[in-house]
Amino acid sequence: MNTVVCMKQVPDTETLIKVQGTGIATDGIKWVMSPYDEFAVEEALQQKEKMKAGAVTIVSLGPDRAIEAIRTGLAMGADNAVHINDSAYYNAADPFATAAVLAAAIKNLQYDCVFLGKQAIDDDSGQVPAMVGELLGIPVITQVLKLEVAADKSKATVTREVEGGQAVIEVSLPVVLSAQKGLNEPRYASLPGIMKAKKKPVDVKTAADLGVTAGPATAIKEMTLPPARQAGKIIGGDDAAAKAAALAKALQEEVKII
Amino acid sequence: MHGSGAEISREVFWNILGPGFPTEQVLLYVLVFGTFLLFFRGLAKSGFFTRLKAAANAKGPEVDRLGNPWDRFWYMVTDVFGHRKILREPYQGIFHFFIFWGFIALLITTAIVFLQADVIYPIWHVWFMKNGFYLGLSLFADVFGGLAIVGILMALARRYVIKPQWLDEKGEDGVVLWFILAILVTGFTVEALRIQATEVDPSSPMFHYVWFSPVGRSIAFLFSGMSDVALRDTHVVLWWTHVLGALAFIIFIAYSKLIHIFMTPVNIFLRPDVPQPPLKAMPPEMFENAETFGIHNVEEYSWKDIVDGEACMRCGRCVEVCPAFNTDKPLKPRDVIQDMRTYVGEKAKLAIDADGTYHVIPDEEYTGPGFIGDTISRDTIWACTTCMACVEACPAYILQFPKLIELRRYMVMMESDFPAEVMDVFKGMENNSNPWSIGAHVRADWAKGLDVPLMSEKGGAEYLFYVGCAGAFDDLNKKVAVSLAKIFKAAGLDFAILGTEEGCCGDSAKKIGNEYVYQALAMANIETFNAYNVSKIITMCPHGYNTLKYDYKELGGNYNVVHYTEILDKLIKQGKITLKQPIEGLGAITYHDSCYLGRYNKVYDEPRDIIKALNSGSLVEMSSHHAKSFCCGAGGGRMWMEEDLGTRINQKRTREVMASGAKTVCTACPFCYTMLSDGIKELEMEEKLQAMDIAVLVAKAAGLDGKGQEADAEPAKAEADSE
Repeated sequence: MNTVVCMKQVPDTETLIKVQGTGIATDGIKWVMSPYDEFAVEEALQQKEKMKAGAVTIVSLGPDRAIEAIRTGLAMGADNAVHINDSAYYNAADPFATAAVLAAAIKNLQYDCVFLGKQAIDDDSGQVPAMVGELLGIPVITQVLKLEVAADKSKATVTREVEGGQAVIEVSLPVVLSAQKGLNEPRYASLPGIMKAKKKPVDVKTAADLGVTAGPATAIKEMTLPPARQAGKIIGGDDAAAKAAALAKALQEEVKII
Repeated sequence: MHGSGAEISREVFWNILGPGFPTEQVLLYVLVFGTFLLFFRGLAKSGFFTRLKAAANAKGPEVDRLGNPWDRFWYMVTDVFGHRKILREPYQGIFHFFIFWGFIALLITTAIVFLQADVIYPIWHVWFMKNGFYLGLSLFADVFGGLAIVGILMALARRYVIKPQWLDEKGEDGVVLWFILAILVTGFTVEALRIQATEVDPSSPMFHYVWFSPVGRSIAFLFSGMSDVALRDTHVVLWWTHVLGALAFIIFIAYSKLIHIFMTPVNIFLRPDVPQPPLKAMPPEMFENAETFGIHNVEEYSWKDIVDGEACMRCGRCVEVCPAFNTDKPLKPRDVIQDMRTYVGEKAKLAIDADGTYHVIPDEEYTGPGFIGDTISRDTIWACTTCMACVEACPAYILQFPKLIELRRYMVMMESDFPAEVMDVFKGMENNSNPWSIGAHVRADWAKGLDVPLMSEKGGAEYLFYVGCAGAFDDLNKKVAVSLAKIFKAAGLDFAILGTEEGCCGDSAKKIGNEYVYQALAMANIETFNAYNVSKIITMCPHGYNTLKYDYKELGGNYNVVHYTEILDKLIKQGKITLKQPIEGLGAITYHDSCYLGRYNKVYDEPRDIIKALNSGSLVEMSSHHAKSFCCGAGGGRMWMEEDLGTRINQKRTREVMASGAKTVCTACPFCYTMLSDGIKELEMEEKLQAMDIAVLVAKAAGLDGKGQEADAEPAKAEADSE
């Protein structure tokens, strides 16, 4: 089974984020593969291992540094990669423009499934999986928790998360699937994997190479950090009744939620 | 034969040789010759030569264990005869000492008798075994032989009465003891029969000297009623029993753990150089070109690792002290060595052709049991805390736990096979250079508002204060880092921290088996250290201490590294820190030795001296301390793993603290501090017990725990000057 995984390099969740203009300052940031994309890569690898055939191709839009995350995916076991290195597109950080270049790159590839993380953990837009499906003209299933592909690769049974439960869906292939936490446990790249990854082919493309002209549909106007967390308040009082009264008063007058 | 004359001596072969041709003597020669042949046949049958061949063909890294041969030889001689390590355990030490010296004394005596009766007398007709020399020799053999019996009885009592849990129980274990006892008892009985027959009559020239054979003379009383003929007949039978028994025993050595008589001294000669990291770094260039990392085939060990198995006599001292074994986990260091030895032998049999050539069996062709999993279970491999108690306890200088870490290396780097919870630890180290996975940018936040000098601002300092991840990220241990910074400032020490330029030392990664990540972390630190021309480093954590001091050397980083207890002890003794008033409420204090400070680096006195200088409570010792200290459970990367098997190590140690009668347990290691604090909470002992890091107490006693610490520096200095 041939699969394509769309992967984005994002700042490490623990890294210090500083706003700069309508984006973030990139100096001093530790970049990693977006965690949901790790589930996507892992699922593609597990499906390949189950079928004992096919190739896993990583497609990523990002600047030069994105190659590190691409190599991580290759070290995990992906076979090759397409690196769309086009500043107009990665700087725009626009879901539609991103989906357009990804879909254009995927069209050139053979695939039965396209995997993505359900969202990138930096801008959290969550739109790209659906748009890629639309642009490729194939079904999309988001928030995937479990995937079983029929041996003849004609269809798949997919479990996805719904509010408070799960839904099981049967879908024909090819299909776009976005990975939710719980789909699998991403592997730790082995050292031979890391060494082999250095030699695996990475095809570097621009939007023009892919024949994409679609521009961004949105533009960021302002970016702000969430307000710093306020210190907690300890409700005092002589006994439990007094404390409860003070708490009720605070909730009513200060927080205004009762 | 000489010796029957009226002089102070004895007739060798009394009652054995008839007149004329010495048939029995010649028969004895034949038997002894046959015994040696059977001994070597026994070695071959028990696979000894096969395993040595496997050692000779081992593919592991070359280890230099032959440098300074004379030093090694002398150490071996003094260790073998002086029982340097064996006597650390008084009971088994003493009984081994008795048996050992009994053997040596009887061997010397037998050799002298042989020289006299079979060499010197037949050739030169000189009889030197007489008078004072003879009596001295007789006393020597009797006393030491007697002590050997005492030793054997003590060993039997341990095996059948005391029965410690860690003692191995194999068929040969009992046989060895009863066999030696039988030889000793028949030997003394033969002597007693001869004494009764020839020396107790007042007409005998030996009559007045018969008590120079105290054991033989005492036993002879049993035979006082026997006729001369009966004495002689019994003597002949027992003499041959004794001789044949002794010869059979020599053959038995080849088949049993008694081979340690030869192989343990060899291993002592080949002992690891000290100091050196017990776990060698993998050559960095491996990460450029090697195809396989760590060990999964037993042939990939070094020759020395395989020879280690031959020196192990299953004494079980490593098991006795192992924190994993003592909390019901599957690891027994002895069994790792023994199982490896058996496996080496079995696999080597397949690798040796009929003509004796050795060829390594490729993985594809080998269908027998594997080493990881089938021979050494995964749970065993992950149970080790690298506390080094096994290595420290081993009288044969075997390196037990590093063999397990080699397997972890394979599992982690080749197969990504490790406890699931370790994933975040690796990622944290890779992305944020700390196992807590906290953003690297907050590494220096603990120092906010303390005005701690930064290397990047100061440009350089006499000491780099390497805080380490625990001091930087763990709330409990940030207090220790803060205390140390305050103390160093008050003492006027020229120091600086690296702040956010500091990185994880990599110890946990290394011991979990991720040498690749360890070396990346180490190289980053070395680069930073060198950029500031760092030469002296103070570490807060004993793991960082050991790693920076020894492991970084292997990667080209040479620094003079001290642990904070060493520098605090010095500053206190120099009067640069004044511990003003006793701290109330500490009660009796005990000190928990960190493995990486104590066993790894022999820093035992400094922490204790600091505690005494606090003058705030008496120092008591726990049941295990110093080199025998019991691990807190966090070493070897176990800090980051779930402890699902058996009971919890930190709780066992906490109970030992409780049993010591102490109210405060002092630590000098962030892992120990955390583990014991947790142990106290888990056992709900907060009312009776508290864990405290030494640095926190020193800061408190020096009046540095609150504000206004800056003002204290001056008086402290003035006092130092007046001394």
